[in-house]
Amino acid sequence: MGRLGVLGCQAGSLAVLLLAWEAAVRTGVADPLFVPAPGAVAAALGSTVREALPRLGDTLLKALLGYALAVGLGVAGGLVIGSRRFVHAVTMPYVVACYGVPKILVLPWIALILGLGTSTAVLTATLFAVFPILLMVAAGTRDVDPTLVTAAVSMGATRGQVSRKVLLPAVLPSVLAGMRVGVVFAMLGVLLAEMFAGNRGMGFLMQRMAMAFKASELFAATLIVSILSIVVVLSLEHLNQRLSRWR
Amino acid sequence: MTVLAWRLGILVVGLGLWEAVAAPLNPIFYVGPSALPGALLQMWRVPELPNLSEHVWLTLREIAGAYLLAVAAGLWLGFLFGLRRTVGRVYEPLLAALYAVPSVIWYPSLMLFFGLGPASKIAFGFLLGFFPIVLSVLSGVRQVPATLVTVAQSMGARPWTVFRKVMLPSMASTMAGGLRAGLALSVVGVLVGEILGSRAGLGYVINYAYGLMMTREYAVLAVIVAAAVLALDAAGALVEARVKRWAG
Amino acid sequence: MPGGVATAAAEPIVLDAIGKRYETASGAVQAVDSVSLTVRAEEFVTLLGPSGCGKSTVLSMIAGLVRPDAGRVLVDGAPCTGPNPEKVALVFQDGGLFPWRTALDNVTFGLELRGVPAAKRREIARGLLEPMGLRGFERKYPRELSGGMRQRVAIARALALDTPILLMDEPFGALDEQTRLLMGEWLVGIRRRARKAVVFVTHSLLEAIALSDRIVVMTARPGRVKDVVDVALPFPRDLNAPEVTDLRAKLWEQVREESLKAMGSPP
Repeated sequence: MGRLGVLGCQAGSLAVLLLAWEAAVRTGVADPLFVPAPGAVAAALGSTVREALPRLGDTLLKALLGYALAVGLGVAGGLVIGSRRFVHAVTMPYVVACYGVPKILVLPWIALILGLGTSTAVLTATLFAVFPILLMVAAGTRDVDPTLVTAAVSMGATRGQVSRKVLLPAVLPSVLAGMRVGVVFAMLGVLLAEMFAGNRGMGFLMQRMAMAFKASELFAATLIVSILSIVVVLSLEHLNQRLSRWR
Repeated sequence: MTVLAWRLGILVVGLGLWEAVAAPLNPIFYVGPSALPGALLQMWRVPELPNLSEHVWLTLREIAGAYLLAVAAGLWLGFLFGLRRTVGRVYEPLLAALYAVPSVIWYPSLMLFFGLGPASKIAFGFLLGFFPIVLSVLSGVRQVPATLVTVAQSMGARPWTVFRKVMLPSMASTMAGGLRAGLALSVVGVLVGEILGSRAGLGYVINYAYGLMMTREYAVLAVIVAAAVLALDAAGALVEARVKRWAG
Repeated sequence: MPGGVATAAAEPIVLDAIGKRYETASGAVQAVDSVSLTVRAEEFVTLLGPSGCGKSTVLSMIAGLVRPDAGRVLVDGAPCTGPNPEKVALVFQDGGLFPWRTALDNVTFGLELRGVPAAKRREIARGLLEPMGLRGFERKYPRELSGGMRQRVAIARALALDTPILLMDEPFGALDEQTRLLMGEWLVGIRRRARKAVVFVTHSLLEAIALSDRIVVMTARPGRVKDVVDVALPFPRDLNAPEVTDLRAKLWEQVREESLKAMGSPP
């Protein structure tokens, strides 16, 4: 089946799903209070977008800040841990443990100290995103072919030159992969913080809509955030491809 | 040996710092590790805190429910998409797209639909745990060396036998990894669901303690749950290692 | 040079009873023991021996990447204290090409480190790649090149620094036999023009005979010099000639003994 056929099937399946869904609500199988009809969701889209836009911007800004922090810490930490055997052996169990602990457990404490505002969301985003980035960069640094370093040294490269001209480009694919994964985690952290302890932002809005049983608006909001997230990830993926032509 | 010494050193220094930072500060916000054991003992007796064991039991049941559903759906869809190529080609990209979305945005809708009871937590835990499982089955199916299948078929093995004796062992370690990750995520899903909005369960108790600024109790609970999750994952890792050794 | 031995022209490489020992988890291992060797200008010397006999370690010591525990290494009369990019260039077994750089950019790497301006670098690099038959492949990444091409790029990279000494550590080891033989022929052609002192490591007798002025046979670990054989045949060498066959038989006798030792059974 060619690409067009695949796309056709996907579109077709979605269409069937939407139709069945609409029918279910119309015939009363599904309670419109809990399950809004696709038509209603579409209708609510306009007003929801208007309401959501400033909040979306707020959420994205916090996510961006948290993400930037996570990338800075994660890449630096990953490079250090990955390049020194001893540091790796000593710190790895802790990093893995931190990655494995559900970070939601720390959220109440952060909220208690930092309050219901931006800093909580940014810190949570950083916390969620930093560990996967760190782990991936550390792994990538460890995997750098030592012959490449030897070759550079034998041609007279100083330590600084080795770092800049060999380690950095060699590690770049792992950094990019980590950054790609980190984006979703950062957004997750912000939304979670907003839902738990926020008074602005998309997460808070969605939580409020749920409590008020505004089903159509909620579904519309969910759709908007999903599309946004997919677009962000796809763009990063595209960027990643272009920067890794040599692989 | 020095590695172990350094690791212990970090732990000691970390705990020490935590204690040192917390001691002079407002006990409502900052709780040092030394306060935790005392708080643990108290918890069972505090009347405001609801009956802990009931909540723990509820959470465990929710996790079990979420995970079992995730495993069932994950295995079914994984094999469906993996073995039926065309179905896989059509629907896998849709699945991958869902993976790019921060999972927590589904939760308000789940809460709206299922209410604040256990159902929404099970649904969310299922949603989170399902992905690693289905992805690992998909990749596992694709990793089965075609030559092995051909060898088995040439010896007259029927499809079910080929599946059982060739495909499953080849896929075993990948699947074990996915099942382990799925468990971890189901647990996270249930906990997040409970913390964000529920009337019962461990997450609810944590939220409750937080709401009443009972920081010591909250801290104890958080540490215990964290330790339990880590222990569970460690057990999962052991099982995964066992499977890897058997599968070769 | 103040004091010391003043010679009119110092030999490119002098190894004076060098040794190297490694600490491993299972105790100390003497990799190289008391190896002495002098390599003259424009001479092609091959280190031949079984795996693990320390040939690569000797090369690393000449390159200044590894410090000898005993003896000394003199490069152009001066003691070797570290990597010497002015005098020594290396070619590694799997090329060691930077995968994120094109063939051209790989060749210019050493020149970049020296601060040679971009246009000049590229000119030199193209000048090296073209006679190697790689014209048109300058912008390709190593991933897009065949094994033989990659090794040629690696050699071009080493030649770019125009050093008097070239060290090659089993550069054709990862190639299939046909490519290997062709590369050997090609290298013979190159070396006449390149005018460098070359130390070549291999475990292939034919390769050693085809390329070298002298062959140093090394023992199994700890690596010592077992024998030094002069190959006084004119280039290009006919590998079917009787002298070659004789030489091969003689070398095989010695290498076989050491190979068996390396494998752990008595000769």
